[in-house]
Formats: sequence, C-alpha cells, structure tokens
Amino acid sequence: MNARRLEEIRPRIAALEAMPAVPAIVLPLTAILQSPPDQVDVEKVVELVSYDGTIAAHCLRMANSPLFGRRNTETVRSAIFALGLKRIEAILLGCCLNRIVPSDKWAFDPVTFWRHSLGCALVSRKMARLIGYPDPEKAYLAGLLHDIGMLVNTLAYTEDYRRCVQAARDGHVALHRSEEEHLGFTHCHSGKMLAEHWHFTADVTEVVEFHHEVGAATSAGPLVALVHLSDLLCRLRDLGYGYYEAMGVDLAGESAWARLVEHYPSLANMDLARLTMDIDGSMDEIVAIVDAVFKP
Amino acid sequence: MATGIAKSVTESEDLRDPAYLKIRDVIYQVSGIYQPEEKLYLLASRCARRISAVGAKSPAEYLEHLTVRGNREAELRLLLNEITIGETYMFRSPPQLEALRKVILPQIIKAKSAMGFKRLHIWSAGCSTGEEPYTLAMFLLEESEKMLAGWTCDILATDLNDRSLNAAKAGIYGEYALRSTTEPLRKKYFKPYDDKQLQVTDQLKSVIRFDRVNLNDDSKMTFLKGMDLIFCCNVLIYFDLGSKRKVMQHFYSNLLPGGYLFLGHAESLYQVDNRFHLMHFPGAIGYWKPPVGYTGGGKL
Repeated sequence: MNARRLEEIRPRIAALEAMPAVPAIVLPLTAILQSPPDQVDVEKVVELVSYDGTIAAHCLRMANSPLFGRRNTETVRSAIFALGLKRIEAILLGCCLNRIVPSDKWAFDPVTFWRHSLGCALVSRKMARLIGYPDPEKAYLAGLLHDIGMLVNTLAYTEDYRRCVQAARDGHVALHRSEEEHLGFTHCHSGKMLAEHWHFTADVTEVVEFHHEVGAATSAGPLVALVHLSDLLCRLRDLGYGYYEAMGVDLAGESAWARLVEHYPSLANMDLARLTMDIDGSMDEIVAIVDAVFKP
Repeated sequence: MATGIAKSVTESEDLRDPAYLKIRDVIYQVSGIYQPEEKLYLLASRCARRISAVGAKSPAEYLEHLTVRGNREAELRLLLNEITIGETYMFRSPPQLEALRKVILPQIIKAKSAMGFKRLHIWSAGCSTGEEPYTLAMFLLEESEKMLAGWTCDILATDLNDRSLNAAKAGIYGEYALRSTTEPLRKKYFKPYDDKQLQVTDQLKSVIRFDRVNLNDDSKMTFLKGMDLIFCCNVLIYFDLGSKRKVMQHFYSNLLPGGYLFLGHAESLYQVDNRFHLMHFPGAIGYWKPPVGYTGGGKL
C-alpha cells in the first residue's frame, strides 16, 4: 500500500455522506468500556441504554432469552443486572455501529461481521487475562473495533466491495488479501481513517491499522499482536467472515506470537488447544448476543 | 436416591457445583480431554450415570472416587468410557476432512511431487470398529480422480482389540454409524447386508490393511515408518503420561517430515510433547511434524 494510493482514497472516505460524526453514545460508551469493572458507573449505563428505545428493547429481549434463563425482566435496570455490563456494552456498540451502514449497503452478512467482532473482543480479553496484559478491557475494545474499516469499505465502495468479498469467498482467501487485489487498499487503511475521524485512542487506532501487519506497529505492539492472534483464532473457529479460509496456522510460529512472548513470557506456556476449546465453548453466548441485536 | 442425583445434575443449580470444574480438571490432567466451562452440562450428564453407579451423594463425593479412593484408576477409565461413548461414527469431523482437502493434501502433494513421490500413507491408530479408516478410504477414493489422480494411497488401520478389528474387517454398519454418510456415498461404497445394516464394498476394503498393533509395543512401532498422516482419536486418553510420551515419540518418527497427527476433537497434547507444532485449521486442530529447516513463520 503506497502513500499515494492512501491519499487517493482519503477524500472519498471523508466525503461519505453516511459517515457522519461519531454516534452520540459511542464515546461515553468506549469510556465505560475502558474503566476497570469495579469502577463502572452503572447508573450511567442505565441512562445510556434507556436513551434509545431500540437498544433498550434489544437488552430486554436478550435478558429474557433462554440463554439467560427466561427471567421476567421488565426494566432496563434489571436487564443490565441479568446480562452483566460487558454484554450490555457489546449490544450497545453493535447497535450504534450497525446504524452507520444502511441495510441495502452491506457487502456481507452484518450478523457474521458482528459475531466476528464480538468473538474477537471476547478472545482478546480472555487472552489478555491469561498472559497478564495490564488492560484486558482495552483488549476487549480493540478486538471489538479492529475491523471497523470494513464498514467504510462497504459504504464507500459498495459494489466493488461486494465483488471483492465474493472473490475472497470463491478463492477461500483472507479478506484483506482480496481487498489488496481488488481495491488496492485494505480495511486496515480505511479503518485507520475512520478511527482518526472518530478520535479513537492512539493504541486502538494502531490495532485498526496494523492487525494484519503486526511488525509495522510501533507504540502499541503487544496490543496489536494480541488482537492479531485473537482475530486469527476466531477465523479458525467458525467466527470468521462466513466462508472457508483455506489456511493452516502455526500460531506459536507467528511473528505476532514472538512479539507478545517478548513482553509476556508466560504466553510461551499457554495451552493453546485448551484456549481453542474454550472459544468453542463461548460460541453459544456470542451468537446469542449478536442475534439479540440483529434478529428481528 | 441414585435416580434423584442423576436427575438433579442436569439442572443448572448443580452445574455451579465447583466439584464439576475439579472433575473437569482431573480428566484433563490425566487424559487430555477438555470440556470448556460453558459445556460443563455435558460433563455433568456423563458423570450422572457413574455418580449413581458408585452411589455417591454429590459431585464432590464422586470427585473423591476419582482422586483419593483406592479404585480411582478404574473409576476414571469408566468415566472416560462414558465421555467418549458415541464418539464413533463415519464422517464424525467434517472440518478435519475439509482441512485435509483444502490445506493439508495440497501441501503434501506439492512437497512430495517435487521429490518425484506419488504415494500417500495414512495410519488410523486405534481404529476401533473401522468407522474412521472407512471414512478416510471414502475420502481418498473420492479424491482419486481429482487432486490424487495418479497417486497410490493406502490406509493402515490398527487396533489392540481383536473383537474390534474383526468387526472393522467385516465392515457391517447400522444407522448410527452411517448417520452422517450421504446417500450418494452409501450407494457407491456400501451394499445391503440385512434389513437394518449395510456392508462396505470390496473396493472400499481394498484401500485398507488391518493389523493388530499395541501402541506400547516398541518393536512393532519402530517399523511403522513413512506415514503422511496419523489419526489417533480417543486412544491416548487411557495412557499414563509416560506411555503417552513414548507413543508420541514413536508417532513423531513414524511420520514423514511435513506429516500430521490428528487426535480426538477434545484431546490436547499440552505438556505431553513439545516437538509437534499445534496447527489450527478452520474448525480443526492437528499436530504437525515440520519439515527440516522450518523456522516458524506461521501460515501455510
């Protein structure tokens, strides 16, 4: 990706009518996501959820779903307690970001996209805790937002992007490879522009830009490597982009792995097979959360 | 009393019993079979029968049967039998076959073709009543006119148990074993046996050589060389750590560089062997013996 090509796409992305200012509740929400769980202001969350009728309805439906024991949850507050803050936040963010893309513009199934994003968030946080990364909530947020450039691509290059996704599907190749070939840039480049436009923190912006090119990350190297590995794991465990990517991955042989081990030596002893099976175990919950937002 | 316990463990209240997590960890430590926390209800239902059989009053008491009582080894074996029961049927793991078709075989074919070899050797170690080797045989025959055109392929299927081996050789299967076998494949590779069962065709049998092999028998294991793929599902779970390590050493030398070992879907080799590389494929994991000179670098 050369600098000139990047400059060519910048005005196109900036001029997008459908790329308005950051949705009103995303910023306070990301602030909540990043505070330690014991310091989260629950009243603020109740307020944010209540602010939006659709989101409140999603939360209530989720709290009353079989996965959570079909309680008779009638208020937003009790739904929040039934689901836990993290699930509420995932629903909120999913709803907000989903509204950015009109339903006729999606180049791929939005449910698949959000399952992947949420899966990556959960795996990033889990891995962060396992290796002693100091800010697991940051890892969660970075995992949730890492592919945000795909929203830009689907909005700004709808038809081209549809062809690009179809080519990836037909060839069983990674989506960013197909983007390079068909668009000349990837969701990492367009995602970086959106992240800057929305004033994401520098480390999350680095994750968005470099999660397929870990070696190029500078200050947020470990976080980028962490999300890169979680992204790969999700794509390998049925939480990918909804098609078969023909790949065999030696995760422990990845350069991202080596980079992370430098900072967190305990990773070298991680039981990767067990982590993989744990991800499989989380599938039902991920599917339930995403379906709560997207299924009518 | 016993029925009451069996019934109650399926209720979510009892799943919160920390004894189940401990039982899970004991099983993992001893056998390498892992159940994620979200799937503990499966473990609980498998434990229920053993809990009532030994007359334990709670999961915690049953944990004692697995850890401190004199018969713990026998009890653990009985529980493992419960856990792996029903694991065997044909086409048990489609993602594993997809990984073979889309990633592994193209890679092996490329590497071996470059050296002028066109033979593929597969070993089903602990083949039980034959479902696994016949699945692989169907897979190979289906590919024999596609990517394996011009290749000679064979499957060695071994087991310790003579009765299992005889059943495997006979190749007679009912609906349970065939539940994931598609109609076209049934028509192509099976013939009617009686009202309820089908028998494999001679063509399918011809791909496989059956033999009795004890994986603990060093002298026999040493001679089984040149394998491209080894499948060993839910066999090592019954071995102690020392025997597991020895079998893994054998498997490592039985495999050609670039070859793969596959275990049961919930089995892990963590802390058993560090020479194999854990490889992830979509929906499947395998253990890889890298070719000489491999220095890491991730994706294939």
